[in-house]
Amino acid sequence: MSTRRMATKAIALVAASILAVIAGEISQAEAANKELKIGFVGVTSGPAAAWGTSNVRSMQTRAAWLNETGGVKIGDTTYDINIVSFDDQKDPKRAIAGMEKMAQEGIHYVVGPNVDDGAAAVRPVAEKAGIIYFPYAFPKELYVTPASNAVLGMIASYQSGPAIYKYLKDKRGVKTVAFVAANESDPLSQRDSGVAAAKALGLQVVAEKDTYQNDTRDFTPVLTPIVKLKPDLLVLSGVAPANAPLLIRAARELGYKGLISTETAQDAKVLQEGAGELANGFISVGGASTPEIRSPAMNEFIDRYTKMFGEYNDESNTKVYALEYILETLKANPKAIDNVEEFKRTMDSFSAPNPFMIGDNKLRYVGSTSFGQKRQVAVPMVVNEYSDGKFKTLFVGEVD
Amino acid sequence: MAQVIANGVYLGAQYALIALGLTLIFALMNVLNFAHGQMYVLGGFITYTAYGQLGLPFIVALLASGVTLGVIGALIEKLLFRTVIRRSVREESTMLLAAAVAYFLDAVILLLFGEKQRGVPKIVNGVFVSDALIMPYDRLLIGALAVLFIGAFMLFMQFSKPGRAMRALAQDRVAAQLMGVRVDRYSMIGFALGAMLAGVVGGLLVAITGVNSGIGGPISIKAFLMVMIGGAGVVGGAIAGGFILGMIESVGLSVLHAYGDITYLVIFAALMVFLSIRPNGLMGKPWG
Amino acid sequence: MSSTSKLFSALAFLLVTLVAVPWLITVTRRLDLYYTLTSVALLAIASGGVWLTFYIGRINIGQAAFALMGGYVSAILVVTYGVPFWLTLPLAGLFCAVASILIGLPILRLRGVYFAMVTLVLTEVARLLALALPVTNGAKGLVNIPLPGSTTLFGVTLIPDFATLANPRLTFYLISVVLMVICYAGLYRLVHSRVGRLCLSLQQNEELASSIGVNVAYLRVVIYAVSSLLGGLGGAMFVAISQSIYPSSFTITDSINFMLNCFLGGLGYVFGPILGTFLLYFGWDLLFQTGRLQLLIFSSVLIALMLILPNGLLSLRLFRRSKG
Repeated sequence: MSTRRMATKAIALVAASILAVIAGEISQAEAANKELKIGFVGVTSGPAAAWGTSNVRSMQTRAAWLNETGGVKIGDTTYDINIVSFDDQKDPKRAIAGMEKMAQEGIHYVVGPNVDDGAAAVRPVAEKAGIIYFPYAFPKELYVTPASNAVLGMIASYQSGPAIYKYLKDKRGVKTVAFVAANESDPLSQRDSGVAAAKALGLQVVAEKDTYQNDTRDFTPVLTPIVKLKPDLLVLSGVAPANAPLLIRAARELGYKGLISTETAQDAKVLQEGAGELANGFISVGGASTPEIRSPAMNEFIDRYTKMFGEYNDESNTKVYALEYILETLKANPKAIDNVEEFKRTMDSFSAPNPFMIGDNKLRYVGSTSFGQKRQVAVPMVVNEYSDGKFKTLFVGEVD
Repeated sequence: MAQVIANGVYLGAQYALIALGLTLIFALMNVLNFAHGQMYVLGGFITYTAYGQLGLPFIVALLASGVTLGVIGALIEKLLFRTVIRRSVREESTMLLAAAVAYFLDAVILLLFGEKQRGVPKIVNGVFVSDALIMPYDRLLIGALAVLFIGAFMLFMQFSKPGRAMRALAQDRVAAQLMGVRVDRYSMIGFALGAMLAGVVGGLLVAITGVNSGIGGPISIKAFLMVMIGGAGVVGGAIAGGFILGMIESVGLSVLHAYGDITYLVIFAALMVFLSIRPNGLMGKPWG
Repeated sequence: MSSTSKLFSALAFLLVTLVAVPWLITVTRRLDLYYTLTSVALLAIASGGVWLTFYIGRINIGQAAFALMGGYVSAILVVTYGVPFWLTLPLAGLFCAVASILIGLPILRLRGVYFAMVTLVLTEVARLLALALPVTNGAKGLVNIPLPGSTTLFGVTLIPDFATLANPRLTFYLISVVLMVICYAGLYRLVHSRVGRLCLSLQQNEELASSIGVNVAYLRVVIYAVSSLLGGLGGAMFVAISQSIYPSSFTITDSINFMLNCFLGGLGYVFGPILGTFLLYFGWDLLFQTGRLQLLIFSSVLIALMLILPNGLLSLRLFRRSKG
């Protein structure tokens, strides 16, 4: 009998706590301005949690900042931004559920998903429900017609890779390249495009088949045969921020002397803690990442992010942009607020100042070369080099 | 080749230590502890905080990891597993509990320590370099410590009173009980010890590979593999399994280097074939 | 239960899922629930297969391998060979069944955690195979898979062309539920047949069963084939909804979840996996509002459930009956 009473009690307790949480959520929404919901569907738990977390936190930081300063004026209405986030656990099936939730919430603009399979899986829902989404995934099928609702939220590896290799070939005399990637869809696709780009530049690819399981913690066995080949450049294709310092450290400790690079965004603190001075010279790509090119607004964003969540994540240098693009485009065409066709029309001609970078850099949609239509945000392609806990700008490129 | 073998031995030593705690808990209670990897991660974060953030000596941090995880393990056994095992019809049901505990620890770790990869300053600088072999000193030290811990654990199981009691329990629970072994008490000690081992190895490896909140699940699964190769519930089997898996990975990655994409496919397929031929691993007791 | 009351509860279930639920969804405008419930139905089909292997005393953590295989078979047939989807669905199931016989023959000799582990490895092997085989398009996956077309029988349209539907979600939901009901009716029938009782004898003691003349090896391979067939069906249906498949569409996490669904529902009850899947999947979705605390609340509830009902949710019924 006591078990039964305990059961009732426990269930009541659980129910009460869930209700309390939901009630809390509702009461948080203040009624001053109208509310504009922007969605996020991505991974914020599990091994890849860092990707989605930096994403959603960038959005939350920026939203809180905008709301604090009176909201966003779109047309004649001022809105408070509310970020609705959904953790898809890196599972494409969940990602579909997440996109359905967004549709249910009446959301038309969603950031994410973070990986290829999720981005491909949500496509039918997004197109049916009239949602524009900003994936951090590279498959061209997502952005080339007949697809039209996805906007690439960063620079694809097949765009930054060639630029980096060319720079290193010309400036650092790189002749031989080796690739290593995790045996998962995203890194392998990025490796394949990297290999093709390197070959097109006339570089000699000495290793292109080496892979590791994503649960690898010790990369010495993976890198031992590669280091023996003494390539001038070691490319860590699609490397997760958590694995980058481990790979760098293992390669350096095995006596590797050449350059190491990747096409994905990394975090300086993680590199510093994980590899220390061994990470010096490591080349990666970021948005408004380095102090030389940051605007005061970007610095304030970093401060606010740090205040809100305790610690900044350099991956957010790229991820700060998606929300900004959504809001600025809506400002440019208020009719797009619940009509993505209007949004798409605006994309072709849209241009606004980039608040996060010094100079007269513009926010605009690009991608004509890669996708045949403007389905990519013009994030500055800042190729940077890690040096003693900081990123230094090597060069700033552009995508068209 | 010396390099490849050295890599394998080093990898094997850490794998074996990871597998020991898992196999101990399995031997005593027939519980496949899905939360083993999460305990490893928690141990890692405790060492990270104590050594990396607070600046305490590495050994103290390691001790803190071990003790904390030991206490947590004891509590989990006493409050959760004991109740469920007593009341469930099929003992496999504990797998759901173990998975729930794993999720719970995952959530707590993510909330407490964040999503980023963490690392600590090197405990020893420098690299040992010879013609055939390159090995950083910190790896040598950690490898040696791992072997030391394995040795200490085996001595403890072999000669101490709790060790003997636990071995009796693992062999035959009912008989041990009839001989006056306090089953509940030693189950709890065993679970605590298993969790402690996970915590210690987590702390130990922070010095080399750092730690991040999401790797718990994958580590558990890797530990399962080692235990299966050697044979479930046998201490020697876990050690053998750890070293074998370490060696297979190291040698496989070098030998199959040219066919990189399928290296792990070959390793896993070979593992399936091996288990089909030897259904109880190398030296496991048949599941009763 | 008498056969009339059985029939009655089956009808009630159908009425609720096929009529009441769509009506409620329409009234409340919660259209997103269609997908959630469709997922529950499809995952429950795959979980039902896992449950069946539990029934012969095997812990199966490999169902995602067959879901992935089924998904790829269907996707490849549709994309490369232009076979109509509704034909690929049974083919995917059959392919998985045949494959599982080949795999099952050696590995079904294993028991307990060893079988569990070997199936876990199988999941990873399936993923790596999907990455490596040319026919699967490797890491890039298969995308832009067309929606299922219409099916007609004697001139009557059984299933309309999805591309022309205003609300394909409803149709997917209805078809998935019907598929689930058919699968579980089959399971129920199997478990309560002579074969089912033989399975029970396998669960308790294989040696003993073998000694009284049960063809143990044959029986377990057949059961495993049925189990994998269910996995393949679930996987293939999912591909039709997401219109894409990647090697990571079904992973070890799914394999583990399929198993947990069975535990949660209760290993002693055929319909346990439906309830287990519903709670695990739906529960996670419901908690999405809680943001950062989602996983914490979810896991705490699971632990509490396990402490209160260690034999699965459906054991509540037994418990109540025995108390009066």
